[in-house]
Amino acid sequence: MTAWENRRIRTLVFIPAWNEAESVASVIRDVRERLPEADVLVVDDGSTDETAARAREAGARVASLPFNQGLGAALQTGYLYALREGYDFCAHLDADGQHPPAEVARLLEEVRADRADLVLGSRYHEDRVTPAGAEEIGGEDYRPTISRRIGTSVFRFFLTLATRQRFTDTTSGMRAANRRVMQLFSESYSPDFAEIESLQLAVREGLRVEEVPVRMLERVGGSSFLTPLRSSFFIFKGLVVLLVGQFRPRHAARTKPAPLPKAGAGR
Amino acid sequence: MSGLLLAAAEQPKVHLTSQTRILAALIAVAFMLMILELIRRDRLQERFSVVWFVAGLGMLAGAIFPGLLGTVADLMGVRDTNVALFSIILLLLLGLALNFSVIMSRQAAQITRLAQERALEVARKGEAQTSLDKDAGSRNSSAISTTEDAE
Repeated sequence: MTAWENRRIRTLVFIPAWNEAESVASVIRDVRERLPEADVLVVDDGSTDETAARAREAGARVASLPFNQGLGAALQTGYLYALREGYDFCAHLDADGQHPPAEVARLLEEVRADRADLVLGSRYHEDRVTPAGAEEIGGEDYRPTISRRIGTSVFRFFLTLATRQRFTDTTSGMRAANRRVMQLFSESYSPDFAEIESLQLAVREGLRVEEVPVRMLERVGGSSFLTPLRSSFFIFKGLVVLLVGQFRPRHAARTKPAPLPKAGAGR
Repeated sequence: MSGLLLAAAEQPKVHLTSQTRILAALIAVAFMLMILELIRRDRLQERFSVVWFVAGLGMLAGAIFPGLLGTVADLMGVRDTNVALFSIILLLLLGLALNFSVIMSRQAAQITRLAQERALEVARKGEAQTSLDKDAGSRNSSAISTTEDAE
């Protein structure tokens, strides 16, 4: 056995949660069951309900932001934690029960095999095959609403144009990443338009981004924040963000794999 | 008709009565005093006060030398001094508002990072606590097992 093999590969699964007390515990239990080797961190984005307490009860670590900062900041907190604590790989999924942890395990396999730096779970992938073991995931399949579908196709088109890479599910909140991505995202991550701009950023910085078809479910609790008016504003804002992002300076130096912190340095 | 146009052209560019000039000067002075007071009470930082102080001085200069505005309008090639005045003020305010947006963005980013650092710090402390508890628990159990061995 070489020294490299001796070192245990460490994986962090983090869950951004804002007032998700209803569903967060069951998501954590599911993650711990499906990914027993991974540490689970809940990034509590200034919740005013019992989210943090429920997460702790379910055995997750909790990083609580003192006030609501938005999804982008919450995700960045997770990447920052993974980077600082010396995790080799990390993944994140939504706290509302839409993302089956079994699928997250498949995303993690891709980054562990070093086939990509950042892997997204896509709901809309064309060559969608029923992945092995997916049948046993209980729950109703995710069905997008009309406005969701329009927004998705608009973003898909423009992001593909901007990155010259085919993306089908641009707003997917189920991702797996290695240390290069942690390094990049912990430094710069758009607080307003996390999902799309981060993809543009990653591709621009020369990282390998890959999509994997996954099954997503209908949410367990809560409702989607998207109304038609909001979605049109969301789309407009997204286009502006994408356009501006095309003119950002590149920082190719940043995408060198970040060295692991020395043992105990993170404490 | 042509006589009327000539008369209009010969009129001075800025015609302020002495009352309006005094009023404008008083407002300018009061404005600058207010800035000073805000700085004195730590409600306004010096670095943000400079631009407002310059604005106050500009107002004062305009009140004392009413010909100044006409000269500026001439330099800009604007016939109507009011248009010159409003466009200058509008541009200045636009620049100022943009400046504030830049400052706000920077501070928002700083606040976010501060919140994240704190969240990570607290999370780390919590983990240290639970691992300490775990250590204590395992030590107790090992103590029990040794006593059992002794028996």
